[in-house]
Amino acid sequence: MRKQIDAKGLACPKPVILAKKAIDQGTAGEEISVLVDNEIAVTNLRKLASSQGVEFTSAKKAEKEYEVLLILKQGKNPQSVPAPEVENCTVKNRKKIVAVLSSDKMGEGEEKLGHILMKGFVYALSQLEELPDTVLLYNKGAFLSCQGAETLEDLKLLEKEGVQILTCGTCLDFYGIKDKLAVGAVTNMYSIVQEQAQADLIIRP
Amino acid sequence: MREKVQRLVLAFAAATHAMAAEQYFRQQGIPGRLIPLPGSISAECGLAWSTEPGLQKEMEQLAKNKKIQIQGIYEVMLYERKEIL
Repeated sequence: MRKQIDAKGLACPKPVILAKKAIDQGTAGEEISVLVDNEIAVTNLRKLASSQGVEFTSAKKAEKEYEVLLILKQGKNPQSVPAPEVENCTVKNRKKIVAVLSSDKMGEGEEKLGHILMKGFVYALSQLEELPDTVLLYNKGAFLSCQGAETLEDLKLLEKEGVQILTCGTCLDFYGIKDKLAVGAVTNMYSIVQEQAQADLIIRP
Repeated sequence: MREKVQRLVLAFAAATHAMAAEQYFRQQGIPGRLIPLPGSISAECGLAWSTEPGLQKEMEQLAKNKKIQIQGIYEVMLYERKEIL
């Protein structure tokens, strides 16, 4: 059995409230399809599903149309579980997060370990529930967004998720790797300063 | 958009084992990658190999061949990008 909720155009946290109501009234094995028009609503529905022990899948159907499918598991009694706090209801309330990568290594010490740690750091960025808005790469960090870098796929994933990837043009030029840039855009010192000045949170490895 | 998908994650006894495993698994053409040890497995800082579910026996055999010490094998939900058809 499948229930459909069209929550497109509804302000946050309305989609979550409607989905929670449907979960509470649902029976084991039931599928609830929720249509929403923004990724924040998808994220909030994912949090709801996780808190309720409900299976979650989502797909982008079109520009500003996402379908979230919630499948109620056997033997669950979700009525007893309160919904999680809904965060980031509007883009306006969202924190601006900027990740700053100023080296191709993480920390001081053995170079090989530093490279592995940096690779892990960029991967971990892609695993954040709330992705950064911008990743700034400068000095040797510029190598991370260039062809051959092991961090490239994760940076590409971040970019596809809407994260701005900005690499210092002076640095690309200095190291002679301008033609190797493989993700994001070239930036300058004014943007590097402005992005950080406007950030609520700066993450550095 | 990205979605959480199930992955098979191998935790190693030491970082050096993880690094050796990465090199060996790549040589063997095993799909996957080295990742930081997910917090859902352990709060400790470590490295792990994330691969496709269903490869457990193959991974165990390969690790045994190369004397790579696996501390544990887990199924973990991790974010990956799902291309929209």
